[in-house]
Amino acid sequence: MAERALKVLRLSIALGLIAALTVLVFGGWSSSVIGWLLGAGAGLMACQRQSIPSPKVGARLGLEAGLVLGGWILLALVLQGLVLRPAAGQPALALPQLLQYALLAPVITTVAATVTGAVQGLKQYRQIATWILLALILLIFPWIDQIARTNWIATVIQIQIFVMLALGLNIVVGYAGLLDLGYAAFFAIGAYTTGFLSSPQINLQWNFWIVIWIAAAVAALAGVILGAPTLRLRGDYLAIVTLGFGEIVPVLFRNLTDIQIYEPISKILGSILGRPEMAICLVGCDKPFNLTGGEAGINPIGRPYLPIVGTFQSSNYLPWYYLILLLVVFAVFMIGRLRNSRLGRAWTAIREDELAASAMGINLVKTKLLAFAMGATFSGFAGSFYAAYISAIFPSVFDFSVSVIILCMVILGGLGNMTGVILGGIIIMGADRLYLPQLALVLKGVLSTSVLPNVANPALKDFLATSVDPIQMRLLLFGLTLVVMMIVRPEGLVPDAMRQAELHSPEPDSVPVVEDPAVEARS
Amino acid sequence: MKRWQRILLYLAVAYVVLLLGPIAGFDLPRIVGAIAQSPEVLIQQLLVGLINGAIIAIIALGYTLVYGIIELINFAHGDLYMLGAFASLTVINLFGLEDGASLATAIVPMLLALVIAGLFCGGLNLLTERYAYRPLRNSSRLAPLISAIGVSFIFQNLGLFWGGLKSFIPGMGNNAAAPKTFPDLLPRTDLLQALGIQTSVAFTVKDLVVLVVAAVLMVGLHLFVQYTRPGKAMRATAQNPMAARIMGINVDQIIALTFVLGGILAGSAGLLVALYNNTVVFTMGFTAGLRAFTAAVLGGIGNIIGAMLGGVLIGVLSALSDQYLSSRWTNAWVFAVLVIILAFRPGGLLGENVQEKV
Repeated sequence: MAERALKVLRLSIALGLIAALTVLVFGGWSSSVIGWLLGAGAGLMACQRQSIPSPKVGARLGLEAGLVLGGWILLALVLQGLVLRPAAGQPALALPQLLQYALLAPVITTVAATVTGAVQGLKQYRQIATWILLALILLIFPWIDQIARTNWIATVIQIQIFVMLALGLNIVVGYAGLLDLGYAAFFAIGAYTTGFLSSPQINLQWNFWIVIWIAAAVAALAGVILGAPTLRLRGDYLAIVTLGFGEIVPVLFRNLTDIQIYEPISKILGSILGRPEMAICLVGCDKPFNLTGGEAGINPIGRPYLPIVGTFQSSNYLPWYYLILLLVVFAVFMIGRLRNSRLGRAWTAIREDELAASAMGINLVKTKLLAFAMGATFSGFAGSFYAAYISAIFPSVFDFSVSVIILCMVILGGLGNMTGVILGGIIIMGADRLYLPQLALVLKGVLSTSVLPNVANPALKDFLATSVDPIQMRLLLFGLTLVVMMIVRPEGLVPDAMRQAELHSPEPDSVPVVEDPAVEARS
Repeated sequence: MKRWQRILLYLAVAYVVLLLGPIAGFDLPRIVGAIAQSPEVLIQQLLVGLINGAIIAIIALGYTLVYGIIELINFAHGDLYMLGAFASLTVINLFGLEDGASLATAIVPMLLALVIAGLFCGGLNLLTERYAYRPLRNSSRLAPLISAIGVSFIFQNLGLFWGGLKSFIPGMGNNAAAPKTFPDLLPRTDLLQALGIQTSVAFTVKDLVVLVVAAVLMVGLHLFVQYTRPGKAMRATAQNPMAARIMGINVDQIIALTFVLGGILAGSAGLLVALYNNTVVFTMGFTAGLRAFTAAVLGGIGNIIGAMLGGVLIGVLSALSDQYLSSRWTNAWVFAVLVIILAFRPGGLLGENVQEKV
């Protein structure tokens, strides 16, 4: 009994910490929302890796997990309401309000955990029922978010965009084993294609529903163009070429602002003969042609339109949420099918051993190019959605750090595993866009009301006031996460089964294959 | 492909380059005209390129040393160099030196800054190796690379943090992220004019100092690696770690030594750049690191002479591009050249074409 209690407790530590942190930082109704989401997760996790004989057993397991999680939330609520708020200069929560939150949140958590736990006991329907439950949660999330006034939906849309990108990169790095450090370039290409085709910039205002497909196709084409010169390169050289491509693309978009093209032969002849008017002008003759708008970017970009919904507005998040959700589901479905196809197996073969794969009759050129193209396609979709959603694009959005962040999502979550990649995207983007800004706000309040008045040294006071800012420490936290993660769990949070076997195989030494034939013969 | 087909293809590519090149500044008639009009500008740019290239080469050596020995692209190296620049700025600040301080008062602090920045970066690199890379030596290729990216982020944030220390270090200014001015300490006396040569090409004492220090560092490293015992051990380890271990070389120690050497070079480069450009900013590591990395790959990563050659090449290329093409396109041109060279020589210029092992 004690053993089981211990297991439940250990299980709930990660989720409990997340829940407690959320409640501490956001407070109020967020406790119910996070309790609902994590409660469902806890119910699922409690029943993982074991067969549940009946819904009743599952429900009991879920109930236990939910209760522990609810305890965490309760604790955090009390701390936030009675200690943290006064420390940050806000009035402490009134008792009736605290009671309201404290009663509701644990109950919701427990119910959610019990229901997901019970669903796990449905034997042959287990998987389908879990999917339906997940779909339900995703579908009603915006409504719950609105009722609870947590305003997380904008961030959730951003998270989904990045999840989409991570899924695409996972094809290239996770499945095919080609290290791509310039992935944001495809994102940019998708976004800019949408920008060109549905904005007043070059007077094309096509329908978004057509443009998004074109954007994906253009990105795929760019993937092939990038892939072609890199086919002969080995791992690290490939990394630098993709990195270079990732640097070139934003430069292009930043600087294609005054295009004037002359026919070269006539121009050279003209300059030799001293008659510049001989040059035949092709593009931008009377006025240089501005393609990308430079640093200011393209603005505004047309938004999608649907008969019943009307034009998607920036103030109304619902249609955007469902659109990107649809795209992500589409991506997950397609990539799942790809993974198990002939092509997917060829990618794995190349990743494991290129030479052996080509000896087995896999066309290396075609397979690698297809990996690049497929990966780029999904980022093209994401870019197109992003452009329409923001309704403007700037070159500075697509620099190296974006590529690296996407790569980190893939690796943090678990290379080659879709669940892991999605989780990695949610964790990194959620921490970055949702928690850090709010944490900064809370810390600022705490500093200015509780800490700073007690610091006598003016230099130290000044330093604390400016430097203790989670937003400024974002890179540090991010870097630390990466390093620690690599040391503790190099295969990611949710490792791919095959990868894990590979990484944990007992290797005698790190030394590469013996080259000298004489040595080989002796051994 | 038949021969005439190949020639036709090259002609087509040349035509397309001439057609689209002018958009990115590659306007052949204009460039030829500009060079014909004032060849001295070309010489000046070559000189600037050589000096910048020498600095890039020093940073590139750090990449190449580490890559040669443990096959890791040490992404944090560029940011280490940035921290070296911050360390030297701090040292100079502690001495309270200002713009135009006489060489006599500045020489000791500068030498001290060189030593401290070198030691600081060397020590930091050693710690990084110990805690971020060594535990990963037996895992997959990707793990240390990601770890290096993480360290690079940490270093960058450290630089940002350092820049915010205005309450403790006077030169750090108000905004943590803003570029900091580094006092202009090296005299700008024009050597050529002092020698009585009448030309518009400028070659100042400042240029000379940077060039000489860079050359000394590079030659010193080359001699170290070629002729000393630890240098020989380094080469042996790079060639075959297991055999080296059998021969009684402490491989862990040699790897640590490599990181220390790379760190010292990065720290010195940090000081040199700060002295030359008179500004230090926490993001400078990324761009410079990228260039240096490109240089190392261009020369054939793992090859020390190649890194020097690649560095100078990249420096000259970007200086020429700044002048004759367009400075806003320089980055794109540098990488375009890299991609083209790698497409034809996948192992870099001096790198050997490694046969795949079966």
